[in-house]
Amino acid sequence: MQYRQVRVIAGRFRAALRGVAVDKGGHIYAAGDSEIKVFDAEGALARNWPTAKPALSVAVAPDGSVYAGEPGQIEIFDTAGKLIDGWRDEKLLGFVTAIGFTNDSVLAGDVGGRAVRRFDRHGKLLNTIGKDNPVNGLLICNGVVSFAVDAQGVIHAANPGKHRVEQYASDGRLLGHIGRFDGVDPAGFTGCCNPTNVAVGDCLYTTEKAGPRVKAYDFSGKLLTIVAEDAFDANCKNMSIAVDSSGRLYVADTVKLAIFVFEEVAA
Amino acid sequence: MSEDLTRRALLGNVARGTVLLTLAGGAGFLIRKANGQVVWQVDAARCLNSRLGEVNVEACSLCTSACVVALSAVRAVNEYSKCGRCNVCPAYFNITSAVDEHGLPSEKLCPRDAITRKAIGKVDPEDPANNFYEYAIDEDKCDGCGKCVMKCKEPLGLGSITLRIRYDKCVNCNRCAIATACPQSALLQLPVEQAIRPPEVRRLGL
Repeated sequence: MQYRQVRVIAGRFRAALRGVAVDKGGHIYAAGDSEIKVFDAEGALARNWPTAKPALSVAVAPDGSVYAGEPGQIEIFDTAGKLIDGWRDEKLLGFVTAIGFTNDSVLAGDVGGRAVRRFDRHGKLLNTIGKDNPVNGLLICNGVVSFAVDAQGVIHAANPGKHRVEQYASDGRLLGHIGRFDGVDPAGFTGCCNPTNVAVGDCLYTTEKAGPRVKAYDFSGKLLTIVAEDAFDANCKNMSIAVDSSGRLYVADTVKLAIFVFEEVAA
Repeated sequence: MSEDLTRRALLGNVARGTVLLTLAGGAGFLIRKANGQVVWQVDAARCLNSRLGEVNVEACSLCTSACVVALSAVRAVNEYSKCGRCNVCPAYFNITSAVDEHGLPSEKLCPRDAITRKAIGKVDPEDPANNFYEYAIDEDKCDGCGKCVMKCKEPLGLGSITLRIRYDKCVNCNRCAIATACPQSALLQLPVEQAIRPPEVRRLGL
C-alpha cells in the first residue's frame, strides 16, 4: 500500500487553515480565515463565505448542508453558503474542532469539555462521549478534539495523551482502542501526544505532529503504511484530515497553509 | 462537591501554590535588588532552546558552561499553568529510548535526574495513560543545560519549561559571561522594574 501526492491547494489562505472536509461530489471544504472556502476537485476556488467567528472545523452533512465549528457555536449553511441555523452554547460548544454525523445525530468535538457532544438534528444535547474515565475526558494537550464516524456509526476519537484512537458507540460506551506509544517504531505514536487528528474510510487515517506525518491503520490497529511525512512543515501540528469515497486523502498543513491531496498508488 | 470538582480544585491549588511561591520568591529577591539596579534575564523568545521554529536541533547548553557561578545561576522552570501533565513528557523521558513493560520510554532525558514526576488527582494504578502527572524540577540538581526546554517546546510539547536566572544565585556581573557567549543575544540586562513584568507585556511596550 503506497500513496502519492497528487495536488497541493496553496495560496488561498491568509492566516489560518484549521479544518478540511470533502463532500460526496468531491468538493473540498476548508475552515480558516473566518471563512468557509469551497474548492472543486481540481483545487480551484468555487465559492467562499464568512463565518461569524473564526472557523475551527467544517463538515458536510448527508443532506449537503455545511456545518462550521467555531468558538462557542456551530453555524449551519446551505450549499451556497446561506446561513440556515446556528447553535450557540458556551458550555457545550467551547471550541468546536470537529463535526460528524450518525444516522440520527450531529456530533461536535468540544475542546472545553475534552469530549464529543452528541446532539439531535435540532441541536438538543443527547449525550456526551469520552468523559467517563478517571481523567474526565480526552487528553488533548494540543487543544483539538478530533474524531470520525465509520460506516457502522462507530466513533473513532483521537486520544493523543494516551497515544490511542478510541472507539465509542453513539451512546458513549467505550468499545475499544488501538495505538500505543513508541518514539522510534512508526507503528506507534510518538511525542507527548499523538495522533492529533483522525479520518475514517476503508481504513483509519491519523495525522501526527513532531514530526508531522500521515499514517493508515486497519481497524485492528495494524499499521498499513505511512502515507506522507516529508511534505509538511516541521512545525506543523493539528493537521485536519478528510477522506473521500475513492480513498483520496486531504490534509491541512497549518503552517504552510496548504491542503495536500494524496491518493493510493495502484498495486 | 463532586469528585471531578475535587480533583480540579486539587490541581488548581497545586498549580496556584507553586506559581505563587515562585513569583513570591523571585519578586522578593528583585525587590531587595531594587533601587534602580539592573538584573539579567533570559528572553525565552530569543533563547534557542525555547523559541518557536527551531526543531530538530541540539539543545544549547551555554548557560551551563559559560556562567561564572558553580552549577550556573540559570535553572529550568516548569510553569504549571501551561504544562499538559502528560503521561509521556518529552522533557522527562528520552522518548527515543526503548519502550518498557508499562509502555513508557525506559530512559529519562535529564542527565542530572533533576526532574521528578508523580501521578496527581484520581490515580489509576493499572493504566499509566489514565493519569495526569506533575513534573517538578529540583533546582539543587538542575544546571540549566536546556535539554528539557528544547524537548518541551512546541510542536513536540507545550512550551511550559523555560530557562530563567535565579536571582539568589546570580552575582549580577556587569558583563555577564552567558550574555557574552550567547549567539542569540538572549540575555537582556533590564532595570528591576522592567524585569518583574511579564516579557510578553514588556514587548508590547505596556
